[in-house]
Amino acid sequence: MASLFRAYGRGLGVLLLAIAALWILALIVVPLGAMIEQSLWWKDSRGDITLQIDRLYNEMATLQLDAAGETDAGRKAGFEAQIAQKQAEATALEAQETNPPKTYGLANFTRMSGLHFYIFIRTIIYALMVTGLALVVCYPMAYAVALASGPRKAVVLTVALIVPYAINELLRVYAWLMILDYRGVINGILAWLGMVDLDNRGWIPFLENPSAVFLAMIYTYVLFMVFPMVNTLETLDRNQIEAARDLGASSFRIHRRVIIPHAKPGIAVGCIMTFMLSAGSYSVPAIMTRGQGGDWFSQLVYRQFYESNNWNMGSAYAVSLLVVCTAFILIMMRLFGVGLRDIAK
Amino acid sequence: MRGKDVRLDQVSIRFGDSVAVQPLNLTIEAGEFFSILGPSGCGKTTILRTVSGFIEPTIGRVLIGGEDMAGKGPNERPTALIFQNLALFPLMSVAENVAFGLEARGVAKAERLKRAQELLELVALGGYGDKKPADLSGGQRQRVAIARALAVEPSVLLLDEPLSALDLKLRQHMRAELRAIQKRVGITFIYITHDQGEALAMSDRVAVMSRGRLEQVAAPDTLYAEPATPFVATFVGEQNVIRGTLRRISNGAASVDTPLGPIEGCEVGTPGIGAPVLVMVRPERMTLGATRDNSIPVTLKARHLEGPSVNLECVTGGQTLTVTLANGPAMRDLPADLVLGFGREDARVYAEGALAHG
Repeated sequence: MASLFRAYGRGLGVLLLAIAALWILALIVVPLGAMIEQSLWWKDSRGDITLQIDRLYNEMATLQLDAAGETDAGRKAGFEAQIAQKQAEATALEAQETNPPKTYGLANFTRMSGLHFYIFIRTIIYALMVTGLALVVCYPMAYAVALASGPRKAVVLTVALIVPYAINELLRVYAWLMILDYRGVINGILAWLGMVDLDNRGWIPFLENPSAVFLAMIYTYVLFMVFPMVNTLETLDRNQIEAARDLGASSFRIHRRVIIPHAKPGIAVGCIMTFMLSAGSYSVPAIMTRGQGGDWFSQLVYRQFYESNNWNMGSAYAVSLLVVCTAFILIMMRLFGVGLRDIAK
Repeated sequence: MRGKDVRLDQVSIRFGDSVAVQPLNLTIEAGEFFSILGPSGCGKTTILRTVSGFIEPTIGRVLIGGEDMAGKGPNERPTALIFQNLALFPLMSVAENVAFGLEARGVAKAERLKRAQELLELVALGGYGDKKPADLSGGQRQRVAIARALAVEPSVLLLDEPLSALDLKLRQHMRAELRAIQKRVGITFIYITHDQGEALAMSDRVAVMSRGRLEQVAAPDTLYAEPATPFVATFVGEQNVIRGTLRRISNGAASVDTPLGPIEGCEVGTPGIGAPVLVMVRPERMTLGATRDNSIPVTLKARHLEGPSVNLECVTGGQTLTVTLANGPAMRDLPADLVLGFGREDARVYAEGALAHG
């Protein structure tokens, strides 16, 4: 901090610190804090409360009838007092009904149903599989792009990687939907070849299978896996590859001992990004499965917020996912032996 | 380890339209310390990469130990290459670096680490096996690269200017070290450099290249004393170059008319009488005072003290001549008007040709 003041002077230094603090507050502390706070309480809305209120009003009506037919002033006053008491009880219950009391605790996390927990675990496994597949698909691509040179490289990069990303993500996912649909491009070609019979619903139901989601996700997040790897691979001294070859190493050994160790930070960053994006992706599974291929956890979170209208439960789900993703980052960093400093590069 | 001879048979290398190496024949004897010397872009690195197998010659054959290397990759040749930037593997320990070639050949771990240790001791780095290359000094990294290359027991070691990144003192030390290692292991060294000092100090023989052509292949002494072409004469060591016209040749002796007066020299390869020629005299072959063969009166312009020697910068007829003399009391107060003398055998007369420095 002292060096900041020395470099920019007191006024500008304070301003920079203030901007950084505002950034941290607005982008990290407040949204995350709100989400976590939301997940830690619930409203005690007992289901029988409406019934109790109804019963009290019924009793009051009966008492009012009784009071209206009563001539003795003393007993009439007794009825009136009973009515007033019931009215007070009903008002209290009504207040509880419209604004149930907040209770803090971890119940939102422990209350997850067996099915939802199963979907949670399955989503994590699916996201891991997407990450693994994306890594396998992207490594050779990143290698080719990083080691290509001159104008060819620019062409490969722009045409193969950047141009698809100029198109909105939803459109790209819908494109895959059209390709894989019952009467989509692939089934159409198969029908034309006479291998399936579309008229009798003899199509191949690609979309009822989680691999359709995998495919679309890998396609959607390819860039996030490729770019970090290209960045690190570009810094590899090619003489090292030649030296390894000259010393008699096979291509496989060169990759295993020289190139992949060098690319580790890039691989770690690519895996982290792809895992986080796929574990939290809503649109891809929602569009690709159309409810046929099994929900992903992100869809459950969405439903808790907007269909069950239970924001507390939704927040708890979201926080659970966040915890798992954070754990994944830490595990990847440990596994690949890279620090935050390497990743920041 | 046994050295093998390397033979380039009518080898020519093209990249697209440009010719990197003109057709040439070159034989490097087994166990020889052979340097290829030339300015950058002369094709010397291309030749090295051709021998190591990273480049296939466009035409011609490369033979190592009499065996044709056509179609054999770098990993199948009995050569090991030391890169200009060494290309050590930064993420592996020094011992792993040295053992890598053995690892690639499937040698068991204990065996290859034992061998790596032996090699590290050979290059006086016995205690450094567990360090990372980044923890070593420039000279130590150099020796690791040598040990790594020797680990695969090559018959031919190829060195691509490995000393160029070192400072002067270390470079001079490493010259002696490299030479000693070569003597100890007895394999063929092919050493690429643009530094004539390195080539002269270490080599058994030196090839000088320019623009993809071999200019001369000779022992260092011969190269320095009897350069075959104007390029070699000016690239290796310093020269006073005097342009003139050939007047007479007889029995190897040549008389040349120059703006500085007639010069008697010895003919190296001259065209006919009346052709333009270059007279080359080394600064240290000139003396103060007239000699029987040649005497040129000059004006002393500057005196540069080198320590053991003194360089005198003299002018005459618009031309600068440099004389290198042993330092001594007589060199203290020199008069402005001097006479430079040199023998007939020290003035070599060449046909007009390309020089090394413009």
